[in-house]
Amino acid sequence: MSKIINVSDLKKSYGSKEVLKGVSFAAESGQIVGLLGPNGCGKTTLIKILTGLIKDYNGMVRIDNEEPGAYTKSIVAYLPEKSYLPDWMRPCDALEYFADFYKDFDREKAERMVNQFGLDMKQRLKTMSKGQQEKLRLILVMCRKAKLYILDEPLGGVDPAARSHILDLIIENHAADSTVLISTHLISDVEYIFDRVLMISNGQVVIDSHVDEIKEKGKTVEEVFKEVFSYAW
Amino acid sequence: MLGKLLKHEFKHSARYVMAIYACTAAVLVVMAVALLIKMTWLSVAASVILYFAGLLVVIMTLVAVIKNFYDSLYTNQGYLSFTLPVKCSTLLVSKVLVSFVWIIASVVALALIYLVIFLNARAQSNGELGSILEILRDSGLLDMLPSGAMIAKALVYFALILLLTVLTFVGFVYFSVTLANTRPLQKHPKLFGFLIFFGSYAITNSIGAKLTYSLPLSVTVTETGVKLALTSMERSDAMLAFGIGGTIFMALVALGMLFATGWIMEHKVNIK
Repeated sequence: MSKIINVSDLKKSYGSKEVLKGVSFAAESGQIVGLLGPNGCGKTTLIKILTGLIKDYNGMVRIDNEEPGAYTKSIVAYLPEKSYLPDWMRPCDALEYFADFYKDFDREKAERMVNQFGLDMKQRLKTMSKGQQEKLRLILVMCRKAKLYILDEPLGGVDPAARSHILDLIIENHAADSTVLISTHLISDVEYIFDRVLMISNGQVVIDSHVDEIKEKGKTVEEVFKEVFSYAW
Repeated sequence: MLGKLLKHEFKHSARYVMAIYACTAAVLVVMAVALLIKMTWLSVAASVILYFAGLLVVIMTLVAVIKNFYDSLYTNQGYLSFTLPVKCSTLLVSKVLVSFVWIIASVVALALIYLVIFLNARAQSNGELGSILEILRDSGLLDMLPSGAMIAKALVYFALILLLTVLTFVGFVYFSVTLANTRPLQKHPKLFGFLIFFGSYAITNSIGAKLTYSLPLSVTVTETGVKLALTSMERSDAMLAFGIGGTIFMALVALGMLFATGWIMEHKVNIK
């Protein structure tokens, strides 16, 4: 399998504070990878580097064998933790925006999903509930046939009842052979979809393991997480 | 991609300025109706409102240009803008072009509004305005002013200066906002943005003003045409002479700032 993400000895500091201290890992195509770690461990910084939002780092980062830039942004579908769409936008505006900029965006599928989720194409975002906005953002990302999906806390603002729907949406809609990197702290809800987990602590990768290997030891991902990060509680 | 960026940039920024244009258009309609039905007080009131609306169009446009740039890049919307599959330089060029168009449009709108106010005043004055001009002509005051042909030529020069001034303004604003959103300054981006803008603008403007008056490089406007002269503005004998050293200096600084903005956007910006 080809490596869609290849990171080697990645270091990033904010002033005197070193946030990433030589992170190395690779992700193969077709995997769903969990990026786990307590708050402030460097997950978001790592994601920002992978998505090309942060450029001043040391070390090697390759997405589909390219440095983060215009090309990698065209093959990475990124769902930030924050609400990033202007509040005047309506679903129809957002769909047009994505269709214009991303060649891999499936507009018809997105329109179908907007209707399926009961969203009004003409309703402005500012009048939508948080949950409705979250659904729209997820539709925009998952209707791309991207090589890599990076989802930062996709279940963050969602009630427990809707979580399994969102996970189904991710599983059913990510392009075949694509890689999905999911950063989350809601491990028990989401661990069943992971093929692999990457745990980061104090800016370093402390666990990089296939979920099957964890299961073979008779443990769950959440149990391993609690063992590793017991200091953080 | 630039075309698509321009399309969405216009669509996005239009939201900030179209309301004031719509209000101005409504007042213009009121003024026209008042003129037609000869309701003088309404026509005068509309003129007064238009006078302020003209100023508001320009001020609101400038505010909109700054707000749109800041919001779309350095608030949460930056997660959308900076992950588009385009180079930062292309993103910046689209924003510069759209801002440029909006600001020029606002200045043209201001000129047209004031022309309408003048024409309305002339229509309302029943020829009194014409007689004032005649009095001025008779008194010889108009002879002291440059001729119509000279003023027309000078207007071309002023139009060019206007374009450079807008470019300079956009360059300074974008640079200030962007620099204020780098990690060391982003705790108070608005404060630092203002400080950087006014600080750099004041310093470069004072240097520019000196160069405008003292550098032996000017444009003289005569009956025969516009000429470049190697004389400073303060030493020129021509009736209409404009030093261009300062303008060239400011435009070069603005271009440098735009390049610096592109570099900072590409390498140093940190979206919170």
